[in-house]
Amino acid sequence: MKPASFEYVRPETLNDAVRALDHDDAKIIAGGQSLVPMMNFRLVQPERLVDINRIEALTPIVQTDSGVRVGALTRHVEAECHPLLKEHFPIISEAMACVAHVAIRNRGTIAGSLCHADPSAEWPLLLIVLNGEIEILGGAGSRMVTPNEFFLAPLMTEIAETELVTGVHFPLPPFSCGMAFEEVSWRAGDFAVVAAAALVSIKRDRFAEVRLALGGVFDTPVRATALEEGLVGQSANLDEIEAVVSLAAKDLEPNDDPHASAGYRLSLVPVLARRVLARALERAAS
Amino acid sequence: MTDTLPYIRPKYIGQSIQRLEDSRLLTGRGRYTADRKVPRMAHLAFVRSDQAYARICNIDTEEAKVLTGVIGVFTASDFAHIPDITAPSKMLNYHATFCPVLARDFVRYVGEPVVAILAVNRYVAEDAAALIEVDYDPRDVAVTARAASDPTAPRLHDSLESNTVCSRQFLAGDCATAIDAAAHVVSGQFSMTRKTSVSIEPRAYVAEYESDKDMLTLHSATNIPGIVRDEIGRLLGLRGNKFRVVTADVGGSFGGKGSLYPEEVIVCDLAWRLERSVKYVSDRMEDIIASSQAFGEEVEATLAFDENGHFIALKADILGDIGAYSIYPWTAALEPVQVASFMPGPYRIPHYSATVRGVCTPKPPTGPYRGVGRPMAVLALERLVDKAASTLGLSPTDIRRRNLIKADEFPHRIGSGIIWNRSGFHECLTAAEDAVALTALQAERADRTEKWVGIGFASYAELTGIGSRIAVAPGMPMNTGAETATIRIDATGAISAVFAISSHGQSLETTLAQIVAEELGVLPEDVNVIQGDTSLTPHGTGTYASRSAVIGGGVAVNATRALLVKVKRVAATLFGVKPSDIQTGNGNIFVPNTNYSIDFPEIARVVYSDMSTLPQEARVTLEVQETYDPIFGTTTSATHVAIVEIDPETLYIKLRRLFVAEDCGRLINPLVVDGQVHGGVAQGIGAALLEDLKFDDAGQPITATLADYRVPTSAEVPDLEVVHIEAELPDNPGGFRGMGEGGTIGAPAAIANAVTDALSHLGIEVNALPITPSKLHALIALRQDEIDRSNE
Repeated sequence: MKPASFEYVRPETLNDAVRALDHDDAKIIAGGQSLVPMMNFRLVQPERLVDINRIEALTPIVQTDSGVRVGALTRHVEAECHPLLKEHFPIISEAMACVAHVAIRNRGTIAGSLCHADPSAEWPLLLIVLNGEIEILGGAGSRMVTPNEFFLAPLMTEIAETELVTGVHFPLPPFSCGMAFEEVSWRAGDFAVVAAAALVSIKRDRFAEVRLALGGVFDTPVRATALEEGLVGQSANLDEIEAVVSLAAKDLEPNDDPHASAGYRLSLVPVLARRVLARALERAAS
Repeated sequence: MTDTLPYIRPKYIGQSIQRLEDSRLLTGRGRYTADRKVPRMAHLAFVRSDQAYARICNIDTEEAKVLTGVIGVFTASDFAHIPDITAPSKMLNYHATFCPVLARDFVRYVGEPVVAILAVNRYVAEDAAALIEVDYDPRDVAVTARAASDPTAPRLHDSLESNTVCSRQFLAGDCATAIDAAAHVVSGQFSMTRKTSVSIEPRAYVAEYESDKDMLTLHSATNIPGIVRDEIGRLLGLRGNKFRVVTADVGGSFGGKGSLYPEEVIVCDLAWRLERSVKYVSDRMEDIIASSQAFGEEVEATLAFDENGHFIALKADILGDIGAYSIYPWTAALEPVQVASFMPGPYRIPHYSATVRGVCTPKPPTGPYRGVGRPMAVLALERLVDKAASTLGLSPTDIRRRNLIKADEFPHRIGSGIIWNRSGFHECLTAAEDAVALTALQAERADRTEKWVGIGFASYAELTGIGSRIAVAPGMPMNTGAETATIRIDATGAISAVFAISSHGQSLETTLAQIVAEELGVLPEDVNVIQGDTSLTPHGTGTYASRSAVIGGGVAVNATRALLVKVKRVAATLFGVKPSDIQTGNGNIFVPNTNYSIDFPEIARVVYSDMSTLPQEARVTLEVQETYDPIFGTTTSATHVAIVEIDPETLYIKLRRLFVAEDCGRLINPLVVDGQVHGGVAQGIGAALLEDLKFDDAGQPITATLADYRVPTSAEVPDLEVVHIEAELPDNPGGFRGMGEGGTIGAPAAIANAVTDALSHLGIEVNALPITPSKLHALIALRQDEIDRSNE
């Protein structure tokens, strides 16, 4: 279980990084929590590793006019504990506690998880439920991409091999809003079998905005749009949630895998939908 | 004489002494096999089969051979001088298999070594491995034991008449008639899937060639150094003067390092032939797919009983998935036959009948694994016991109490022929019942709105510290029943105790030191326990089968007592008193209430270096060698209780409590005993709820990483509660019973019974482990279908 040989470069600036990536079969390494095992299994054999850990422009978490910009190199543990994120997006802290184990959270990064695009991972789900956008830099300059554009299939994203993610932008959530995250996994720290994240806002005792995102049930994390549409405008109470939870699983066709049947995964969807919506509602109301 | 209190030597047996190995192991100063670095050491990697069963058509090694840094590329023909590994047995209806050290003509499981590459480092070796192309012609094969047991199934070994390599019957009384005549009968089909050990340290071997002595030393992460020395010596034609096996610190085995492996034979052969040191350290994936695996059994069983819940007859049909080869030295019979041997459990069951078959499948060989056979036996029987209780409306503890062998009924021979000697069968059950506060739980159990709560009991007995009259595996031509110890006081007064056993986490450095210290009258830290080096002992096998405390501890008692006789005789001559007047303690040798007192360095000086004080004939060497063989085994028993709660919506199964009451005789070190129980139970939790080596229809392993093969972490193991019972000490030198495996034996059945209890309102039984939320979901759906159909 040793990787094939590779060339290693460690640029200090974004420009150098973009230039380093303009090379056959170059791969970015940040936290290395997914890439290194894949290299050790020789599932990926990049010719060149571009280590972006020294690029300072990729680290800050800053407030912007419209929300919070999180640098690509932000480690899971930094996101879990950052005051700005805790204030505006407490769901991030809640979800980060479910990301693997402490040693992995100390090392793994937000952009690494997004680019790995595991359909049951926490960051892709958070990006979707928080309407985040991904900032990508390439030879032609910088661009912003929505999650719908970014996630194509399991472990496949829209980013080109010569580009890198520089940051993630989370717009401020609506007023009177609550959020909640929950997942079912076999053991503490395992990949989620199914994960759910909700954000609801209330206006005049009615659901003004509802977002429900699900992971582990499709090729990419998905929004439960039928449920969301069914709930918006209804009275903000548990009965209304109960009335629509079955819509959460609408059009979902999860796969069987060695550990969880499709039927079991599907059975978890309304359960987790109800739990995260109810908790989000409670938090919105308080 | 003046009135004085009798002198009592300080006691160390029974004390929770901090482990003597801790300071080394916990500060990173342990020395493991992979830590060895010697000049000109070459590194080995393997190309392993990616086919379950195929003919090898061609192996192209040309590109690999010329890669810079490659020392040699080897295939089966390069090892034609080494006999195939084969495990003999005198058991009837046993057919040995022949396992070449590298696959020859055929591969029989994914992971079987096919090509060995020696290079200047492991990176280059793996680069070369990637350049090797093996052409396979896949053959039809039966992947499951059930399919492979069909007489028309394709045979995995052309040399054998069928895939069934061992079969055996057990008969006591007239089971069929008794079952027909019984008032009640319960039956079921029970199974456990394959497991792997997941030691923190994977298998590792370094064969060091010393050119000055023309001698080979294998540093091996094994728990059977003596067996490895004897057999590799035989295979390579090397005797003990040319070949030695050393186990330094070993990071766990759990059985997975308890058999002979082709890789360690190859490491030795290459080092001997090339006259340079060779290292092989398996990576995690190799360790999972190519180390011995465990369990993999199906049991169909029936229990008959009368109106009062007294058991009458037990019948079992056991099918074992033994893998591609019958493993050396234990044979394919080890695991499945043990299921039948222990199936009648700690109960009075007059009639017993069992059939066992071990069947070859295209998977890694099964071998020893903590618990061997007994976890499966206990699961099947304890599920039947609970089913019998619910048939009659008895509580799980009532039915057990009615059938457990009573104190005045020992020794008791069970239907398989095993004899239980007195052990706390009833005492453990009572202690377990008292501990779990059943009444309070019943209310919570009845309220099913938030959680489904269930309680499960499992009682069992096992045979430990097995002597030479009983083979660890049936018919195995090898003495696993004796241990030799040499206890020595050297010229500096230091005490060393040399054993052939081999600690791989059992804390033997501490517990054996406690025994020697107490018997000799010195401090435990003054005793240097030396183990795991075949050059220091004439014979010995290793540490396995819950034997080292009983047999190693037993010989430590006997040998130290014999040494003490010598010490007292010398001191008596010195002081001019009778040997019986001499006492020892805290490192001193003295006559109580006098000023006659010397320490061990002083007596050593007098004996070895001082030519004048003692007459020549009294200057005896302060060393004793003794061998101990308990002939039979000793009975260890326990009752486990599991309390689970299931989330009715997600079906997540949470183990809330696990309680163990066990009788392992006299505790040497309670801290160590607790640690062994905790570790064993953690493995039992894994077997019950998580661990499952899965293979697809083509025999490909699909859980070959630790992301897919899930061992319990600290988050999945609750605080474990352990109570120790000493009902009556067994008749062996130390009064010890073996207890290293029991945790894994009882916990799976207790958890299966608890989950079944939690699901009682749905009428669902958990008879196959591991049980997972996804499997529960399927069982509930199946049950709902049955109900719907019967309502139509």
